[in-house]
Amino acid sequence: MGEFITLDIDLGRCLGIEKCGKCIQVCPVNIFTSNGDYPKAVEANEDECTLCKLCLQGCEVDAITIHKLYEE
Amino acid sequence: MRLLEYESKEILAKKGIPTPAGVLVYSPGTISLPPPVVIKAQIPIGGRQKAGGVVEALDQKEAEYKVEQMLSRTVRDYRVNKVLVEEKLDTAQEFYLGITYDTVAKEPIAIFSAEGGVDIEQLAEREPEKVQKRHFSVRTGLPEYTAREMISQASITGRTLLGLSNIFSLLATIFLENDATVTEINPLAQTKDGKRVALDCHVEIDDDALYRNPPLAQKEKDPHRVEGGRIASDFEKKATEIDNLDQRGVAGRLIEFDGNLGLIIGGGGASLTAFDAVQRHGGHPANYCEIGGNPSVLKTKELTKHILSKPGVEKIAVIMNVVSNTRVDLIARGVIKGIVEVGKNPSETLCVFRVPGAWEEEGFKILSKYGVDYCDRTVSIDEAARRGVEKLTKG
Repeated sequence: MGEFITLDIDLGRCLGIEKCGKCIQVCPVNIFTSNGDYPKAVEANEDECTLCKLCLQGCEVDAITIHKLYEE
Repeated sequence: MRLLEYESKEILAKKGIPTPAGVLVYSPGTISLPPPVVIKAQIPIGGRQKAGGVVEALDQKEAEYKVEQMLSRTVRDYRVNKVLVEEKLDTAQEFYLGITYDTVAKEPIAIFSAEGGVDIEQLAEREPEKVQKRHFSVRTGLPEYTAREMISQASITGRTLLGLSNIFSLLATIFLENDATVTEINPLAQTKDGKRVALDCHVEIDDDALYRNPPLAQKEKDPHRVEGGRIASDFEKKATEIDNLDQRGVAGRLIEFDGNLGLIIGGGGASLTAFDAVQRHGGHPANYCEIGGNPSVLKTKELTKHILSKPGVEKIAVIMNVVSNTRVDLIARGVIKGIVEVGKNPSETLCVFRVPGAWEEEGFKILSKYGVDYCDRTVSIDEAARRGVEKLTKG
């Protein structure tokens, strides 16, 4: 888990890598990786998130949530 | 790239500026130049004479002995692997001629003094009336008539004035044609028989323009051209490894010092300013370093941990100028994460954080969350350094 940022993927909504996988493709700092059929956020990389929101824009089903832990 | 003296003199000689007769010597043996001679270590640094890198010999035997001695020496941390042996001239007068780039005026500047062989910066400070300065355009170079105007202000007339003006104008041409940052003849000697000769010279080429000069670029890559220089410490090498963790930004160019205040500083000249300011306010830096260009959180974190691992480092000061190419929040994340990972409290360990610029609102939220005192752009680098030193010394 990141010290400042965590990213949640709602696997109930996620279409999976075969149908979508856009979050893995668009993230400029490689936070996402494949975990079987679904993507997952690499905990060690979460703090590299630049808050560019490309993953949010790419996700058609709004399955991704970015948490700024320093605002909570 | 700082050229060696003999390399600089080759360029001068090609342009027609007289230099002393000389031979380059790589190994002890017979010197094919009649004495008396001057023996000069070929190393890329000034202050050779004071360090024993320039000596005279009155006869052949003494010359051979001194060349052998010089070739077994280290001068100012450089191993001497070649020496320039030159004829010793009878000098009547010495002059200073220099061309450099004035980064404030954004133009080259010609500098002349009738007192050669001196530290021109010290002379300009001590007796500014003895130093003539004139900007010139990169389009026109330094015409001889402009050089004459400058030199005549030093009450130099006749053949000496004409001769010096010609050499000064050629020196400016060399500056422009070689993409130099400095071309300097110090001293230019007027001999007792009225000749003008460049006794010593210093040419530096803009590293970013070396690709336009393939022969020099080739020389610069030659590992045997220069041997020695300051050797990086293990602490500095480790910092370089951190900088190489990924391609993003810079976080690891570091020079070690023996103080107790770790510095994470950056922004071109701002890092120098911050370093000087810390010292001016009585602080003792444990290191100099440069960060910028948006380094990854990982690199900043590892750099922070590395600096904190140095024995004697009590606190860290993070000071940059107003940054547009480096995100404040990412720097804050890296520094705080590094401090947390070594088990320290960010509010106590960070004695000052002054990085205003891109994404500063987000950065300041992070710093507030961890109770860190931070400065915005209304606080100068100097004041930030003062606050950091004060917090370190008074707790």
